[in-house]
Amino acid sequence: MSLLFSGRNSSSGSRRVSVFQRLLMGIINHMRQALASLGELWRSPLATIMTIGVLGLSITLPSTLYLMVKNTEKVTAGWEDAGEISLYLQANTTAKQAQKLLSGVSAMKNKIDDARLISPDLALEEFETLSGLGDALAYLDANPLPYVLLITPKPEYLRPEAARQLLSELEQQSIVDFGKLDIEWLEKLYAIVSIAKDIVWIVAILLCVSVVLIIGNTIRLNILSQREAIAVMKLVGATDNFIRFPFLYTGFWYGILGGFLAWMLVAFLLWWIQSGVENLAGLYRTSFTISGLDGSALGIILMISITLGLIGSLISVQKHIKEIEPS
Amino acid sequence: MIKFDRVSKTYPGGQQALQQVDFHIEPGEMAFLTGHSGAGKSTILKLISLMERPSVGNVLINGHNLNNIKLNQVPYIRRDIGMIFQSHQLLMDKTVFDNVALPLVIEGYSRKQIQKRVSAALDMVGLLHKIQQLPLALSGGEQQRVGIARAVVNRPPLLLADEPTGNLDPKLSMEIMRLFEDFNQAGVCVFIATHDLGLIARMKYRSLTIKEGRMIDDGLAESVSPIMDSHDPYAAPVTKLPPKYTS
Repeated sequence: MSLLFSGRNSSSGSRRVSVFQRLLMGIINHMRQALASLGELWRSPLATIMTIGVLGLSITLPSTLYLMVKNTEKVTAGWEDAGEISLYLQANTTAKQAQKLLSGVSAMKNKIDDARLISPDLALEEFETLSGLGDALAYLDANPLPYVLLITPKPEYLRPEAARQLLSELEQQSIVDFGKLDIEWLEKLYAIVSIAKDIVWIVAILLCVSVVLIIGNTIRLNILSQREAIAVMKLVGATDNFIRFPFLYTGFWYGILGGFLAWMLVAFLLWWIQSGVENLAGLYRTSFTISGLDGSALGIILMISITLGLIGSLISVQKHIKEIEPS
Repeated sequence: MIKFDRVSKTYPGGQQALQQVDFHIEPGEMAFLTGHSGAGKSTILKLISLMERPSVGNVLINGHNLNNIKLNQVPYIRRDIGMIFQSHQLLMDKTVFDNVALPLVIEGYSRKQIQKRVSAALDMVGLLHKIQQLPLALSGGEQQRVGIARAVVNRPPLLLADEPTGNLDPKLSMEIMRLFEDFNQAGVCVFIATHDLGLIARMKYRSLTIKEGRMIDDGLAESVSPIMDSHDPYAAPVTKLPPKYTS
């Protein structure tokens, strides 16, 4: 395209070259620029490693915290009986009344998974074996224990508010003395997890901003160190875009390499923590494996780090390449 | 080809570089621009290559007013102008080939075309055998010739040179000038800013003289400008130069 000389056949012979070929040339040109940027990074290994290190570490911290929160949620999701509701019936309830209530409650299929009636005799027996106070109990005149209805709500009624609502509904039954839902500690746990989540977000946002700034500054230094070359390119007719792309590719490479580093670091940290977690799980006589670091996690980490790299370089490139003019 | 229409340029800070400059260079012409350092030679070249914009007046290339050129069109204008500098403006960490190929890479030529044209351009300036060397390994004259090869590699219709022989001895300077003559004979309009009056005297081309921002001789008029100072070699017609410039 020549603006001044209409007859001039400039560029790659726009007449004979098809659109497809020009597109192909464009793609080849971009790949060449991308590889050249990678080569440029290779030529200054120390600076590159430091930048990638900053990027990798910055992404590692929020990623690890995020995975730990996710895993904590997975653990707590396994504690279903936390939402079990105990309904203590009035002391003078007869077996017949209790059975009637049981069948009534069991009929609430949309809210209740399972309901089980524990008679006073059964409860006493269980208490004797579990508490080791069998001899002492023998001194009692009568069985002081009431009928108890153990109710397992449906999963959607396990969350604290829903479970509490269900409890108050059940307490309205006439022969129910009171219901008990040991939910307070669960609420506390949920609150802690939610705070942890917020912290993960705050840390992640702060670190992402710092990554953008660091990449932006690194690219700025790159641009300034090539000030003369950029001026020469502008002199011979390079558009801003032509000059911009190599720096954007540099940001892209920082992102992709930093992302890989972060992924490896997270894998290493999880492997390190795993033995401690296994130990803890062993104390609870269960086994637990930290999960979440799969292919999709790698994809997400890479996507985030590439985006950060590109944003950082874009900010720098937009600002500084315009400023450099041949003089 | 190049037309200045009452062009004035005032730099930020109030320094008046050009005042009401008028001249016209025909297509296919070769012309020199002379004057003291600071007289405004570089400013004229910068206005043509859009490194600066005029404060008042119009600069036209091939009938197109550069005032109408938008910022994002500037690169495309520069592709039509081959520019040569005293300081060469080469990329020192790139080979001679890469330097000369730069304008073609920017314009998106294919690898094959680039090879062909770069070889041809380097052959023209006699440096084909140094194609893979770094500019640092070349002498000043050779670096200048690499710069010339880069300026002509995409065959621009207009060639601008700012002190192209500034650092070179007379013999090398003459060689460079002969190159410009060759391009001119091939139809390229060549406009050279220089203070090397001896060189101009030896070559019979039009010579424009600028002094303190005013065009005191556009190389065409028979009469001599009243501001002319007879003690100033730049102000005298080049045919009447003191002996030291004609040797």
